[in-house]
Amino acid sequence: MEHNPLISFDHVWFSYDNEEPSPVYAVKDLSFEVNKGEFLVILGHNGSGKSTIAKLANSIFLPVKGKVTVDGMDTSAPENELEVRKRVGVVFQNPDNQIVASIVEEDVAFGPENLGIAPNEIRERVDDALKAVDMYDRRFHETYRLSGGQKQRVAIAGMIAMRPDCIVLDEPTAMLDPQGRSDVLNTIVSLNKEHGVTIVLITHFMEEAVGADRVMVVNNAEIAAEGTPREIFSRRELLQACGLELPDTAKLCEALKKEGIVMRDDILTEQELIDEIVRIKRA
Amino acid sequence: MIRDISIGQFFPGNSVIHKLDPRAKILLTLLFIISLFLCKNFFSLLLMLVFAVVCVLLSRISVNLIWKSLKAIIFIVLFTSALQIIYNDKGDVLWKPSETGRFCITTGGVYSAVFLSVRIIALILFTSLLTYTTSPTMLTDAIERLLSPLKIFKVKVHSLAMMMTIALRFIPILIREIDIIMSAQKARGAKLDNGKLGERLKAMVSVFIPLFVSAFRRAAELALAMECRCYSDGTQRTRMNRMRFTWRDIVSFITVGILIFAVVFTSFYPLWDIFLFQAVM
Repeated sequence: MEHNPLISFDHVWFSYDNEEPSPVYAVKDLSFEVNKGEFLVILGHNGSGKSTIAKLANSIFLPVKGKVTVDGMDTSAPENELEVRKRVGVVFQNPDNQIVASIVEEDVAFGPENLGIAPNEIRERVDDALKAVDMYDRRFHETYRLSGGQKQRVAIAGMIAMRPDCIVLDEPTAMLDPQGRSDVLNTIVSLNKEHGVTIVLITHFMEEAVGADRVMVVNNAEIAAEGTPREIFSRRELLQACGLELPDTAKLCEALKKEGIVMRDDILTEQELIDEIVRIKRA
Repeated sequence: MIRDISIGQFFPGNSVIHKLDPRAKILLTLLFIISLFLCKNFFSLLLMLVFAVVCVLLSRISVNLIWKSLKAIIFIVLFTSALQIIYNDKGDVLWKPSETGRFCITTGGVYSAVFLSVRIIALILFTSLLTYTTSPTMLTDAIERLLSPLKIFKVKVHSLAMMMTIALRFIPILIREIDIIMSAQKARGAKLDNGKLGERLKAMVSVFIPLFVSAFRRAAELALAMECRCYSDGTQRTRMNRMRFTWRDIVSFITVGILIFAVVFTSFYPLWDIFLFQAVM
């Protein structure tokens, strides 16, 4: 496979209080790459610096030291700003503060309208985007009457309609109820698998990392671990040291092992756990 | 309670009124208001009321909803009617409670009370139709287009329109926020519902400060989200819904034109007032 990163962080440092003599860094010497078509999950607890990464990726924040490039373009150069933002869309935590218009389809049209696209094409993009997040039936609804999960899907549709190469989602499910959370997560997964959009999902819910291609754990402004979900999930001590709560399946495995039951180390999904328990029972 | 306000809401639909160009709708509403104040007698006023009712029926907005918006202004109607009846002493005396007092109810008072009530009702019926049948974004876009000649005087018309869109969008959110903050402060013992007027006003400060803080935080986050969606000064912005004048708009302008002519004509040549009251005002 050709090595072709979409977003690349090269020894990036960032601080909110840059003027201070000894600034506290939100991101320290961070280097990683996001490849085209990938589903990357960045895990970290509150204050780990993970949200800063989202804003560094589309030149809202500029690195103090080091370099962020998107599709080969340096985000620090002012002339690249628009092109960078066309390629990398960011969805934030609170959908209420991202929706601009009062009607669903008008809000989804906001981004493409800003890009100066012809009306017919905007219409097409808006319809496609709303179908992709399964909100097409509600295109004429008022945005404030929607549930949290529906609002967040509208916000995601607003990004899709701009046809970015990559969507970065900064804790998109943190304010949602379980139903809304699973709807939004399914939408994100289908965007990656069916529409080929590169996804960077930033979250503190470990169970959201199960379906990822790659997981990166961030702690104290630095990368603590990186690998496939299976590799990461088996490093229990590290995860707990990083302040992450294990998913229910992992907790159950832990408890069973404490009782002296010998089982596989790399169990990820509920189904795998069920299979393993059945296997042990039969053995 | 505050959530029941239906004025300013939009009800999507597919009626003739919905399909009119929003610019035309704004201009027609202005024309309607002007001609409403040109009315000098009952015949012309009735003509306006009938026209408003026909438009409401054409829009296929539920009668229930219209009734709700009329109920909201019933106090204003009753209040102005009462003022007219009490203070207008033209015409014949209908009722005088005491011979020495100056207070009396006259035909002129009753006439102008009814006249004003009908006028207010027609006004609300027609103007609420504008927001009921036009989405807020279309409405502000139309205002932007209508005001665009002001660009010559360096007025930032686009920014104004964007501010209006966002303001309209955040009204329901801030209303909900007030509810939440009020409950939170009541739980901490704020006297919002009882206590002396002074105490209650003081307690309201504890509602408005968090509201403002939160509104500023929301504004900052929204600005960030808008930047992420490539919003700049709006110079190269395009629109999904193009506005186009069609035959429908021409027909509606002709209709309103005829209406205004009829109103002016009957006001200057009050032939019909042989059967109806002559205007006293």
